[in-house]
Amino acid sequence: MIKVDALTKVYRVPQKEPGFWGSVKSLYAREYKDVRAVDGVTFQVEAGERVGFLGPNGAGKTTTLKMLTGLLHPTSGTCTVGGWKPQERNPDFLRAITLVMGQKQQLMWDLPCSESFLLNRALYDLDKKPFEETLAELTELLDLKPFLDTPVRNLSLGQRMRAELAAALLHRPKVLFLDEPTIGMDVEVQAVLRKFVLDYNARTGATILLTSHDMADVGAIAKRILLIDQGVVRFDGSLEELAKRFGAGRRMVVRGPATVLTPMGFTSGDEGKMVATVAAERVNGLLSEVLQALPNCEVSIADPPLEDVLRTAFGDLRPKAPAEAAP
Amino acid sequence: MKVPLALIRASLMVALQYRGDFAFELLTGVVRTFGRVMPLVLVYGHTTSISGWTADEAMLVMGFFLVMTAFHEGLMEPNLGEVVEAVRQGTLDLWLLKPADAQLFVSIRRVDPAYLWDVFAAFAVLGLATWRVGVPGPLDVIVAFLLLGCGLSAMYGLWLLAICTSFWFIRVDNLRFLLLSIADAGRWPVSVFSGWARVLFVAVVPVALVTTFPAEAMRGAWGWELVAVAFTVAAAFLVVSRLAWTRALASYTSASS
Repeated sequence: MIKVDALTKVYRVPQKEPGFWGSVKSLYAREYKDVRAVDGVTFQVEAGERVGFLGPNGAGKTTTLKMLTGLLHPTSGTCTVGGWKPQERNPDFLRAITLVMGQKQQLMWDLPCSESFLLNRALYDLDKKPFEETLAELTELLDLKPFLDTPVRNLSLGQRMRAELAAALLHRPKVLFLDEPTIGMDVEVQAVLRKFVLDYNARTGATILLTSHDMADVGAIAKRILLIDQGVVRFDGSLEELAKRFGAGRRMVVRGPATVLTPMGFTSGDEGKMVATVAAERVNGLLSEVLQALPNCEVSIADPPLEDVLRTAFGDLRPKAPAEAAP
Repeated sequence: MKVPLALIRASLMVALQYRGDFAFELLTGVVRTFGRVMPLVLVYGHTTSISGWTADEAMLVMGFFLVMTAFHEGLMEPNLGEVVEAVRQGTLDLWLLKPADAQLFVSIRRVDPAYLWDVFAAFAVLGLATWRVGVPGPLDVIVAFLLLGCGLSAMYGLWLLAICTSFWFIRVDNLRFLLLSIADAGRWPVSVFSGWARVLFVAVVPVALVTTFPAEAMRGAWGWELVAVAFTVAAAFLVVSRLAWTRALASYTSASS
């Protein structure tokens, strides 16, 4: 569905010395620096896959997403989505995709969201019947009914984001690009959105590419992870593989006296619990040790939090002396 | 046609949301029209003819000038002016995702209904002036509106060109103010200006195409060479601005998300 080959985007960024005289100088002798935001990224995504695009700020995630949606033209390399070259902005291509940006809104501020939906119906040239069916479905799933006729400026953030999502999906896109979709939402709305995206994927077989800083989003939605850092793909595989490769081990949590547990390598965690991180092959050994010493204690073993895995991954994968962008 | 109609419908609804503001805008429109017509009336209080144009004929030019300002302030500026801001803040992203021609979309996304008054006033002035100059033949009227169409297209092309520069320079408000103050000369018949200025008003800031050319046609003083010049200039502006727009989109850098 998505093919990306050696995709590169170089921005020319004006540089300015600090201070007022720096500003004056930049008027007549402006210096530019080339920043390689995306640097030879290659990957493929099959139809129906749910892929999480992860990386620290400035890693090149959004730039890649913007090239895949035709907003930015690549400096070099190629990408195709459903066989189309995004930057040609073929109307059929634009009808097949959507981009949800958590920080930008398409709804008309002064009008109820139902009016924005009608405008999208005209823009996407949707027939009345399928449009009304989709709208009814989205209204129910996202619980839009109570505020369909309220001007957008009077909606809460959660309501607005739900309406934004509906507006982005009215044309039943086959590929969903989600850029930080849950930013600023409360936990409840986040959960609604995640469930909705999963349902949409299951019902329509749509391909989903997601960027998010919220690891809960990624854990819930993505089956496959692409780690990108400094414009380069550093890992491509399933969530489990990621945890196996970069997780320091599994987390064992025991409720028991520190005097007994500390010698076994536990440290004190929240609420009087003791926590240890154990390599997978040592879990059974440690468990029997603990149960021998404290036969009736409460023990739980879990995967390490995704945040920890990623922190390790970014630390390990980054070259020790990062290559400076060519001037 | 579906897309323009849906856009117009939405803009009208936005305008009607703020009834108070709408009323004030209409009132400003009336004041604006008088402000534009009065200087002409005052000047012709002291003379009967300026480089061959009587007061009524100059009023024809003024009528077309009012059509142009209504077109500019009610349609071009609210739309194309907003592109500059959309480029700076990266909101153009959302418009580019729509499966409509991006140029068409950014050009007619919004209409300001308060400027309907300006259109009405412009045609009232035109009608009055035409009646006083002498009713023209049907061919004269057809040619006049053809020339007006050419002129408006050329001005639109010029405006789009100015906007395209914002993709590289980000802030270009002052370029638009400069062009606007030059275009203001369109309220006078172009023959009052000397040689080089005429070239400027026909081919660079083609305001004469919108005002003087159609007025010439309405008073029956047009030739086919006038039509040829208007067509050539309009076509050149439309083609060049389209090319510039395509190139501008290719170098769009969006903004941080």
